Amino acid sequence: MIRMIAARLASSALSIVILVTLVFFMAHLTPGGPAYSILGMKATAASVAQLNARLGLDAPLWRQYAIWWWHLLHGQLGYSYLLNRPVGQLLWRYELNTLVFYSASIVTSIVLSIGVGLLQGVYDGRWPAKLIGGLQLGFYALPPFFVAAMLVLWFAVQLRLLPASGITDLRLGHPGIGSYAAHLVLPVTTVTLLTTAALSRYFGEAVREELGRDYVRTARAKGVAFPAILFFHVLRNALRPLVTMIGLSFPYIFTGGVIVESVFNYPGLGWLMWRSALSQDYPILIAIVLIIGLLTVIGNLLADLVNGLLDPRASYE
Amino acid sequence: MSDRILAPPPGLPAAPLGRAIAWMTRRPTLAVGLCLAGLILFIGFIAPFLYPPDPFAIHPDHALEPPSWAFPLGTDELGRDELGLLLSGGLATMVVALPAAVLAFVTGIAYGLAAGLGPTWADRLMMRLLDAILALPSLIVLIFFAALVTLNDTSLILLLGLISWPGLARLVRNETRAQRGRDFVLAAEQMGAGRFYIARAHLLRVMAPVLVVNGTFMIGDAIFALSALSFLGLGVQPPQVSWGSLLESGLNLIALDPWWLILPPGLLVFMSLLAASLTGQGLLRRWEPGR
Repeated sequence: MIRMIAARLASSALSIVILVTLVFFMAHLTPGGPAYSILGMKATAASVAQLNARLGLDAPLWRQYAIWWWHLLHGQLGYSYLLNRPVGQLLWRYELNTLVFYSASIVTSIVLSIGVGLLQGVYDGRWPAKLIGGLQLGFYALPPFFVAAMLVLWFAVQLRLLPASGITDLRLGHPGIGSYAAHLVLPVTTVTLLTTAALSRYFGEAVREELGRDYVRTARAKGVAFPAILFFHVLRNALRPLVTMIGLSFPYIFTGGVIVESVFNYPGLGWLMWRSALSQDYPILIAIVLIIGLLTVIGNLLADLVNGLLDPRASYE
Repeated sequence: MSDRILAPPPGLPAAPLGRAIAWMTRRPTLAVGLCLAGLILFIGFIAPFLYPPDPFAIHPDHALEPPSWAFPLGTDELGRDELGLLLSGGLATMVVALPAAVLAFVTGIAYGLAAGLGPTWADRLMMRLLDAILALPSLIVLIFFAALVTLNDTSLILLLGLISWPGLARLVRNETRAQRGRDFVLAAEQMGAGRFYIARAHLLRVMAPVLVVNGTFMIGDAIFALSALSFLGLGVQPPQVSWGSLLESGLNLIALDPWWLILPPGLLVFMSLLAASLTGQGLLRRWEPGR
């Protein structure tokens, strides 16, 4: 187990090094460099050269690369071009909103997926499973911007049940937890619907597979009640692929997040990334890309570790 | 003897229409997927030329009207005919998404074959690089680069095409590694076949079903990615419109409840994705019934 963790950590570290390098060179592929995005496309050559000298962009590439690593390792992510504030500080403000939004979406998605997947596995081959399968295919093909727009249209504009955008009601002096929760309902519903469509499909497949195994037959033969088999044996084994999927879908939930946060004007990391892309604020873009890469690597690592705990055999594979 | 082979198998009606219906009922997923795909291709490529009104003509006295006889799908805030805009937007979407999918398809196969057939050290290096690229969701990378470049049809095709291939590349590489030690490949090598010949004549042929299924999915992915980018204002640029940007401009007016500006473009993107997903699933089930 410890050897596996060490091996996975080393491989994750290597992935992060490659990722950081990739992101650095991605940013330096910019035609004209960042000076043009700060000064505008009509900037004179002299003013561009001056700015490049001031920002240290005239140094050789390898030197810039080394400096960049040095700063990264000291937790410095640079300054936002437009807001002229440290990127790290800016990110923290948005990070918290995203964290609330995601944890709510992921928890509801997991609970729903387990329920739907169990139903699908138990009713395999009969109409409930077929209905669920059809719904999964349909929901899986739904673009997040469409779902979000329709939910706003129905529940915020036509029925006036829920707020359409933002994070709290600005008209209230002290937005209570209720206002905060009401603003989260539609974004969380959007992400949950789409994530559940994908997760429950994998989980349902795993449940179906586990139900066909010998240990289930043995347990039934010796008279164990079916719910006990389902919840104590099958669930535990079928959770493994689900855990892997959750680890893998970490960054993809974020992707959906960019679109959903932009529809709902929800000030999270996705929204910040969108605004920064529109205004070409590279330091922020680079920082967010790095964070997502790190999240992915960490997500995969966590999934492997949890699987090692769920099934000790996995750590020897 | 030949008569018996040519005759339809028992249980299948002889008439072409009846046979088609029988074929469809046996493979509902594939049939629905193909029908939807045909419909979307018709809307994207043929319908824009069958619908005469100029989509960009402005009718200020008819701004933001719900569907009527004159404007079958209503008008936007400038009084432009929404149906015409949708058809024009469909063409703009297809013209970028389809070539991009082809580019990603070819790049992915080439990279996967190169890694799978190359020496071990090259394979390791290429796969490590792939892992690092795959660590980022493609939409994030797309947004990043879309912010860097000047956006037009060509740059969008290159952007989408050069970013959405790593998944396929990994698949092709794994499949190549798996097939490489099999007898028919070894026999071909013994007979002096070069790597290119083996790749073209044997490996690609064995992988054809997997490739076609994934190519179908990639078309859906490209349409989604382009629509998402356009929705975020980082795809097809004005004055051109696309399904994504039309939905976005409808959303900007959402307080006025303009359902006719939001439902149709969203439905069209949804139908395209459904078409790709169902066709791919249907083909997968047909070629690999065990899955």
